[in-house]
Amino acid sequence: MKSILTNIWIVARRETERMSSRTLYILAVVVFPLITILFFCSLMKEGVPTKMPIAIVDLDQTATSRKMARNIDVTPASHVVMNLTSEKEAMSALRSGDIYGFVVLPENMQSDLMTNRQPIVRYYYHNGLFIAGGLLRNDFASITNTLSAGINLQRGESRGIPEEAIMSQIQPVQLNTHLLFNPTANYPTYVTTIILPIMMQIFILMITVYSIGIEIKEKTSRDWLKASGKSVTVALIGKLLPYTVVFLIMMMFQNFMIYKILMVPMNAGIGWIVVASLLFVLAYQAIGIFCIGLLPLMRHSLNLAAFYGILALSLCGFSFPTESMSPVFQLWAYGFPVRHYMHIFQSQILAGFEPVYSVGSFLGLIVFLMLPLVVINRLKSALIYQNFIENIHKTDTLAARS
Amino acid sequence: MKEQIINTIRRINSGFLNTLKIWLREYQVIFTDVGVIIVMIAAPLVYPVLYSLIYKPEIITDMPIAIVDLSQSVASRQFTRQLDATQELKVAYFATSMNDAIKQFKLRNVRGIIEIPGSYKKDIAQGKQTNISAYADMEFFLYYKTLLMGTSFVTLETGKQIQVMNLVQQGVTLHEADAAVNPILIDDTSVANAVGGFATYAIPVALMLIIQQTLILAIGIMAGTARERHAMGTLVPLDKNKMGTFRQVIGKGAAYFTIYAMLCVYLLGIIPQIFGYYRLADFRELAALMTPFLLSCIFFGMTISVLFKNRESPMLLFLFTSFPLFFLSGIIWPLSNFSNIWLIVREIFPSSNAVLGYIKMNTLGASISETSHEITALWIQSGVYFLTACLVYYVQVRLSERKNTEINTLPINKLKQKIAGKLSGGFETTSAGTN
Repeated sequence: MKSILTNIWIVARRETERMSSRTLYILAVVVFPLITILFFCSLMKEGVPTKMPIAIVDLDQTATSRKMARNIDVTPASHVVMNLTSEKEAMSALRSGDIYGFVVLPENMQSDLMTNRQPIVRYYYHNGLFIAGGLLRNDFASITNTLSAGINLQRGESRGIPEEAIMSQIQPVQLNTHLLFNPTANYPTYVTTIILPIMMQIFILMITVYSIGIEIKEKTSRDWLKASGKSVTVALIGKLLPYTVVFLIMMMFQNFMIYKILMVPMNAGIGWIVVASLLFVLAYQAIGIFCIGLLPLMRHSLNLAAFYGILALSLCGFSFPTESMSPVFQLWAYGFPVRHYMHIFQSQILAGFEPVYSVGSFLGLIVFLMLPLVVINRLKSALIYQNFIENIHKTDTLAARS
Repeated sequence: MKEQIINTIRRINSGFLNTLKIWLREYQVIFTDVGVIIVMIAAPLVYPVLYSLIYKPEIITDMPIAIVDLSQSVASRQFTRQLDATQELKVAYFATSMNDAIKQFKLRNVRGIIEIPGSYKKDIAQGKQTNISAYADMEFFLYYKTLLMGTSFVTLETGKQIQVMNLVQQGVTLHEADAAVNPILIDDTSVANAVGGFATYAIPVALMLIIQQTLILAIGIMAGTARERHAMGTLVPLDKNKMGTFRQVIGKGAAYFTIYAMLCVYLLGIIPQIFGYYRLADFRELAALMTPFLLSCIFFGMTISVLFKNRESPMLLFLFTSFPLFFLSGIIWPLSNFSNIWLIVREIFPSSNAVLGYIKMNTLGASISETSHEITALWIQSGVYFLTACLVYYVQVRLSERKNTEINTLPINKLKQKIAGKLSGGFETTSAGTN
């Protein structure tokens, strides 16, 4: 037992020396993960987009229409950057990307309102933009409803009808929306919290495959095995241990940014967060071992890991819910540890549900840890026989000369 | 004089021929390397199909919700049936209490809860305003949106029916009543993507990113491979005919450009046709956008390829940018809310302007002049990155030349020693040599 621990220590020491010998390791393990964490934390720091550029086409030019234009300008989501004279102009501005939407206040709006002729206010919003389009639409709709209600109240009050009676006439059934378990309706809570682990899995996967594959490619795998006392398990544990430590620290830094700087609600103890983060890192290291074990030729296993890692964004159910995808993809989605991690975050950490509701997700993460067992023998023979070395043909004239 | 002209012609001729040779040789390099074929050909062919299949449902339908019906009346059951009939929602659970519904929510069986108050029937009968409560799942933005869309539709419909009922009792005509209730009518028009389909948002971004990322990765992989194959670890082979900055940059660039021009036909022509995406841009407009985009990607890729010392380096050092670039395009988080630093970083990568330009042209129907901002930016990038690519290759060519003369002056046995050292290079020696 003692010798196994010593061997793990020897291999881990060997690996840290290798890590510090190439800038590639420092970039892929520390620098780039840090930059992406800072990028995603700062990008959406406002929480909800505000003051998005819109235009007003006021064809009426009366006191009422100007008042309405002012009311639209002061809503939090939109900011009037242009006052245009025709719809055509506004549409061109929208297509050019200068504005994300516009409101057309029709001719004779004021006089139509006076005579009960229901003027039609037209809104256009750029729905090629994911967040902006929907937000502007809601913003426009709510401001008109408020104005409508205001006009009705004015009319009713002038006739002496109580406010309550008017409201029930305008809106017999009212809808109250409550946010369940996540009172903060902002984008960092939806997006940053999930995109950061998705980024991290790419880094973990790639470096795991690389750190093992490079031993095969550069024919140093026998030294590596020797250092581990000829046990492939010890060799793998020792090699990956330094990365586990670094990535766990990265995960905790990321959590610190999410819960302490972005102030995303944290309704579970720190212990659960550490356990979930650790299992997340280990699960992806296990998948990395699986990739290189399956295809010991590093260039192929890197391609495989890249293909798998890139798909996580689409298939973990974060961008579009897996429940709405076809059954094949629903099954495939379980093959991403980040999906289980996301469920733990959503139900236990964010919503504060009892741990019993996330047991399944923890078990899901643990299942991935079994993956290396499937390929361990294949990997071992690749390390010993080095029979997966790609032949590098020297193509210079120089090589021919020698 | 005459001799001079002939000499110039001869030089142009040989330069042209060598460019052509490098161009054709680059095809050979690409198509004899399985790894490069996978990145450059297979990935652009497979990813769009895969993404299209993943996002094929476009919108969420029949999202399971729980109903807490405290009224238990004919009217409330009618309301429930109408909810169930919407495209968006499906009543999956009839809860006896709010706690009961929350339990289903925690088990992930339902994605939202609707509560009908006990006074529902009485309120309607007495002409009082009644309150329906919707509890939305805030984990996914799309679930929230779906619940809201389905419920507000039914609420408005029910409200209208009640209004009509009340007004008919009062003897008012329908039009008069409507005008009294809604002094202003709203007509909202979604420019592009009326149904808010998810594929329509995401696929254009994916297409542009696939082009850029596979190009840059493939160029990087080939550069890393070239260094591994050349005995002295140089990017440019030690071969007099293959030296020449412009020959290298233009010859290689032409090979990549032709391959990706053909891939564009597939990505921007066939894929949208098969899956029924927007196709408002015609060939001329797409060519005006894609030409500078491909050129800027190629020269950007060639510029940064000098940083990749090994075949594997691009996958470790560049692949991860795909996700941040998705967000930098400005499709998710609006550009008006970007901080200045990210607006500057955004301009480094060709994909940012290409994504926005493609969506403007293809989804919104913008003309070339309305897309001029993006097209100009891409041409500027093409120019700048062409110069940097030339600079990088100039330095590399000089480096190869120096090595070449150094080798030619060395005595043969010393040379053998040197090459043997490079070739056998274990971990330590190669790392010292290539990093």
